[in-house]
Amino acid sequence: MLRVVCLIVFGMVLLGVVACGAPASPASVAPLPSVAPTSAVVPEQSKLGGTFNVAAITDPETLDLHQTSNPVASTIFGWIYDTLVYQDLDTSYKGLLAESWSVSADNKTLTFTLRKGLKFTDGSPFNAEAVKFTFERLKRVGAKSPIFETFKNVTSMDTPDDATFVLNMAEPYAPIFHDMATSYAGILSPSAVKAANDDIGRKAIGTGPYKLKEWQTGQFITLERNADYKQFQAFYANKGAPYIQELRYKVIPEPTTQLAALDAGEIDLLGLRAQDVPKYGGDARFKIYDSYTFGLTYLGFDTARKPFDDAKVRQALSYAVNKDEIVQVVFEGKLAKAQCCPIAESIQGYDPKLKEFELKYDAAKSKQLLDGLGYKAAANGPRASPDGKPFQPVLYTTNSDTHGKIATLLQAQFKAVGVDLQVKQLESGALLAATPKAEHDLYLNGYSWNEPDMFSLFLSCDRVKSSNRVLYCNQDLEKLIKAGRTELDQAKRMQIYVEAQKLTMQEAPWQPLYMPVNKTAVSTKIKDVKQAQSGGLLFHDAYIAK
Amino acid sequence: MTRYIIRRLILAIPVLFGVSLGVFLMLQLVPGDPALVVAGDSASPETIARIRHELGLDQPLPIQYLTFLEHLLHGSLGKSIRSNREVMTEILERFPYTLALALAAVVLSTVFGVAMGIFAAINRGRAADFVTMGIAIIGLSVPTFWIALLLIMLFALTLRWLPVTGASSWQALLMPAVALSLHSAAVKARITRSSMLEVMGQEYIRTARAKGLRERGVILRHALKNALIPISTLIGLQFGSLLGGAFIIETIFGWPGVGRLAVQAIFNRDFPIIQGTVLLIAVAYLLSNLVVDIVYGWLDPRIRYN
Repeated sequence: MLRVVCLIVFGMVLLGVVACGAPASPASVAPLPSVAPTSAVVPEQSKLGGTFNVAAITDPETLDLHQTSNPVASTIFGWIYDTLVYQDLDTSYKGLLAESWSVSADNKTLTFTLRKGLKFTDGSPFNAEAVKFTFERLKRVGAKSPIFETFKNVTSMDTPDDATFVLNMAEPYAPIFHDMATSYAGILSPSAVKAANDDIGRKAIGTGPYKLKEWQTGQFITLERNADYKQFQAFYANKGAPYIQELRYKVIPEPTTQLAALDAGEIDLLGLRAQDVPKYGGDARFKIYDSYTFGLTYLGFDTARKPFDDAKVRQALSYAVNKDEIVQVVFEGKLAKAQCCPIAESIQGYDPKLKEFELKYDAAKSKQLLDGLGYKAAANGPRASPDGKPFQPVLYTTNSDTHGKIATLLQAQFKAVGVDLQVKQLESGALLAATPKAEHDLYLNGYSWNEPDMFSLFLSCDRVKSSNRVLYCNQDLEKLIKAGRTELDQAKRMQIYVEAQKLTMQEAPWQPLYMPVNKTAVSTKIKDVKQAQSGGLLFHDAYIAK
Repeated sequence: MTRYIIRRLILAIPVLFGVSLGVFLMLQLVPGDPALVVAGDSASPETIARIRHELGLDQPLPIQYLTFLEHLLHGSLGKSIRSNREVMTEILERFPYTLALALAAVVLSTVFGVAMGIFAAINRGRAADFVTMGIAIIGLSVPTFWIALLLIMLFALTLRWLPVTGASSWQALLMPAVALSLHSAAVKARITRSSMLEVMGQEYIRTARAKGLRERGVILRHALKNALIPISTLIGLQFGSLLGGAFIIETIFGWPGVGRLAVQAIFNRDFPIIQGTVLLIAVAYLLSNLVVDIVYGWLDPRIRYN
């Protein structure tokens, strides 16, 4: 299970790494200390070459852009494919393969003007037909893609000419630009797909800065520099092809072996665990970069089960949770940051003013509320339900080490207010199957979604039988979710999410706990690594010192 | 002998059929829906239902099993739920690595294990016996993953002789093979010792010595050949087991074998891959047992199969 958690964490790091795939850094986030470029006067020619080795905890099962949500695959897609738009450091969306776009008066039609003269790495031209072909394929075969749902809203696509692509939607959909900026929305080469008879799991061809060179299953994936590449992302100084000749993703499943490989110089980048930070922080061969992840871990209450269908019970138990203690004890204060609100502070829509609505740790208040609700404790014993039966809520979580430690700590924190919390750790697949059946009382897990519309995935009525693991359905919140999805004015939209968060914090289906923070060791031989405001690493200007 | 081999191979068919049915039924008991695992959090219930339909998981169980058998009769183990590639392709891509690792581990463990066993047996009761068997007990007791990490620290990080991970060179095979062979070498050493001691107490050994044969000839030609029968059984069983994959060693050294494929498939609820790898393990056991039975006949001419 540790492997699964590491995969998720590592995926988050890499998603940050591939800024061209999924860049994001909301303006509201306190910026992490930026690392200044380490050189300024190295001649362009001498920067060329070298291999940048990165550890991947697993192979992607496929490199078919529309058939996976694997985080390692997503990272690789970011190198191989370019998207129509990208998210700039100021969180606004700008054109990548699209030069510009316009939105119709009813907000239902997007017309993109595409860049001319670009080519896929198989030599075929990039044009509007390729964009249409890609998104039609996504609609046809992309059920496993994270952006499949987005394109259900697309009713038709037109290509009036080679440089114009028109997207018609059934209703306005604000997260469309976010989804189109993720690496899953890269544009495929139609000729390459046809040549592969639609089987592109191992024949990925795009317009991106790198191209697939070799994939040895279970060993490594090598990407090779696309010498013809033109970089349009504003935050890079290098407007041409990347300097680093090859990127190699080495499959190393075991975290201890990954560290050994880093020590031996076999890999140049690795996300660290809390216990490894002191060692590598003091090692001159590496520089440690901090970055936020786009998501948080929460304690959820199964709102479809008694007594957690009562907001007062949820609130009473939320006050018993000491998030700072979790961050200090489980993460040694290094790899997590306590969160007040449902939208993590790394994601657009976070508003520090919402802290006043947080159900902050207050054991006395928790006890008082539980007493008031009739959950009385016997002498020195645990509390019983108002009907006299033992009150022993069961917390379901994954069998990861981290979640195990947090669950144990929560047991102690609940015990301090007289609640006997039971813990059940399940393997991820079993946990996913258990929650829609409402077998749990409490739920400990996280989400990773760089969009305030995460509400529609994790707290909407539509998702009660799938990704809404707390089975929460509130019609007032539902209206706000719908309004947030259809409002294209950013200021108005963010205000909607402030209201949605306020409501969620008061109703307490979740008690947000912490946002994971990545600490990534990068070999100091990799020069000119830049960081986004969120800390995500940007490598297009980077080169390997000879 | 040929008729015997053919009969054994024919008998393997119902065994494999039973294994496939058993695995299929067991997979239905595993909690977790492959469609949910594949779909991820962004999928709506309708999309999950669509994936379930595409994967044929909405069919009744007998139909699902018959579909699997139909594919099998056409020489296919089906397609992976995750990669959409033929299960056979996925397995065959990794099988050479598993075979190389298993062969290397079996050769190393047999050479060292049998040598240690003989050495201990001919020095029975002396210090050399205790030291050798002490080493064997350590080999049995120490966890494989710990040995693997020590090897990495010594040979990859301190001496820098070998790569930490990978499978692109023969050097990369050394540490996983050694780590994997230690436990089985220790078992073989203990069995060789006891088997040798038993044989060396036999009348024909005394006769050989009485004939004036040199001790080396007595041990290697007369004693060892007869002592090898239980060891060959062990080699067969260990080889069959190693062909099913050595997940821990493969994971630690990043070795791209079948074990890692199988375990990853279990996490991903990739049922076709799980079924394929279990069938492979069953075939490996059946074949290695058959080979062991044939070797019996060579080692002991009294054993004949009719």
